[in-house]
Amino acid sequence: MAIGAYTMAILVVKADIPLWAASLLAIAAGMLSGGVLSLPTLRLRADYFAITTIAISEIVDYVANNYQSLTGGPLGTTSLGGPLQVTEYNSSWLNFQADVQGWLHDLIGGYASSDFALLVIVWVILLACLLLVTPMVRSPWGRVLRAIREDEDAAASLGKPVYWYKLQALSIGAGFGALAGLLYAFEFQTFSPSDFDPLITFYGWLIMLIAGAGRIWAVPVGALLFGLIFSGPTFLNFKPFTYLDAAQLAYLEMMIIGVILIALMAWRPQGLFGRREEMVLE
Amino acid sequence: MTALLEVRDVVKHYGGVVAVCGASLDVEERSITGLIGPNGAGKTTLFNIISGFRHPERGTVSFAGKRIDGYSADRVARGGLVRTFQQTKALARITVLDNMLLAAPRQPGEHLWRLALSPRAVRRREREIEERARELLAVVRLESRSAEYAGTLSGGQRKLLEFARALMVEPRMVMLDEPMAGVNPTLGRQLLERVQELRAAQGMTFMLIEHDLEVVMTVSDIVHVMSSGGVIASGTPAEIRSNPDVIDAYLGKHGDAANAQGSPKVAG
Repeated sequence: MAIGAYTMAILVVKADIPLWAASLLAIAAGMLSGGVLSLPTLRLRADYFAITTIAISEIVDYVANNYQSLTGGPLGTTSLGGPLQVTEYNSSWLNFQADVQGWLHDLIGGYASSDFALLVIVWVILLACLLLVTPMVRSPWGRVLRAIREDEDAAASLGKPVYWYKLQALSIGAGFGALAGLLYAFEFQTFSPSDFDPLITFYGWLIMLIAGAGRIWAVPVGALLFGLIFSGPTFLNFKPFTYLDAAQLAYLEMMIIGVILIALMAWRPQGLFGRREEMVLE
Repeated sequence: MTALLEVRDVVKHYGGVVAVCGASLDVEERSITGLIGPNGAGKTTLFNIISGFRHPERGTVSFAGKRIDGYSADRVARGGLVRTFQQTKALARITVLDNMLLAAPRQPGEHLWRLALSPRAVRRREREIEERARELLAVVRLESRSAEYAGTLSGGQRKLLEFARALMVEPRMVMLDEPMAGVNPTLGRQLLERVQELRAAQGMTFMLIEHDLEVVMTVSDIVHVMSSGGVIASGTPAEIRSNPDVIDAYLGKHGDAANAQGSPKVAG
């Protein structure tokens, strides 16, 4: 995500490349870095692989924080143009969003807020992604990936080049990560390295747990549910919750999320939409 | 004429343990070759080395005239040499049919660009391989289970699925690691009949590790005997039966005495 967002912002601000082209390049950069970074790590298995990917994201974070002349450092993209100059990268995005807003306004014959426009844009992009990925996963290509997920040796014994498939999967995943980073960056005028801290990865993982791993359509639904759970406690503005102050409420929020997760693990470890067989069969 | 598979002086240690030391054997084309030996003789390690899952420290493995000892496992399989596993590796979380389809070679749909550019070729190939998969599943009596997760199959049925799946790869030679273990005797006999049929009809070559000596001696043309990491005897079943070294290895007279004196331990 960070690589995607930074590539886009740097290209727009420093190289003066139009936003759409910079965005495409940013996705390509995300895929490429995903592929390159996977070269030394893909031979590792499960847990070790997860650890190294977290390490890599820390490296990206350090670079973003410390390579000030390139990334603007901890202050974020506002200082991309130098210490005394406030820069922004998303003016053409805001124009686009305003266009969509106007168009929605005509469509529904009433007021459409800019947030609503953003919502529509993001959902359309999400839908496009799902339409792209679904046939891939259901194809013979996806079948090989499922086989590798379960047993690399079995896949290799049937002549499937395991390493090459993992490389493809990781690059594609990184490409989607870069896209998500772009959308995240567009939403705000500016971003800094702390916007991409490991918590975001953790959220993504939670969404997957809620929905059920290995089910594409479950992911957006899981994301919605996660959003509801996550912002849910904000609506606890009636008694007895009014006796708690804001900080206590924030803790309560975390506790509620924790309880829901534990309940989910206990009663539905495959997630809401996962298939139990895929968890228990060996 | 050279043999289809030639193993020469292969050596492999695990840590400080000698698994295979200087094993050599030949497998002739169109033969059914047995590989027997007491537990820990190095049979499975040798299988792993031949199939590219392990690489030998010394020695060579040649298949169809080409050196394959440096190849990765998937490349060995694509070259026409497919193996099954002692601990079955039926993919439990996909269906029986998907297990079969997965194994089929030349499915353009396994490459993303072909998937995007020639979807009709992908569908045509998918129909072809599904037909073949159902034929093979019928042979091992698993056709009625084709839509179920492979994880619901019994141990013996998984052995059969693995056998059928190996045939989906369209191999020139199949290596079976204890194909009969846990399979009910009637189905086991049918499996062996199928092996003989395939050899006769398609000239396929088989090598099998099997603990049931009666089975090995009946079905094999040539039997290799391993003990303590080396091949100690090779010959027709009749020759092997009367070979005193083999009898020693199985009765443990030799082996146990040597081990007790602290000679290299053997694993695998």
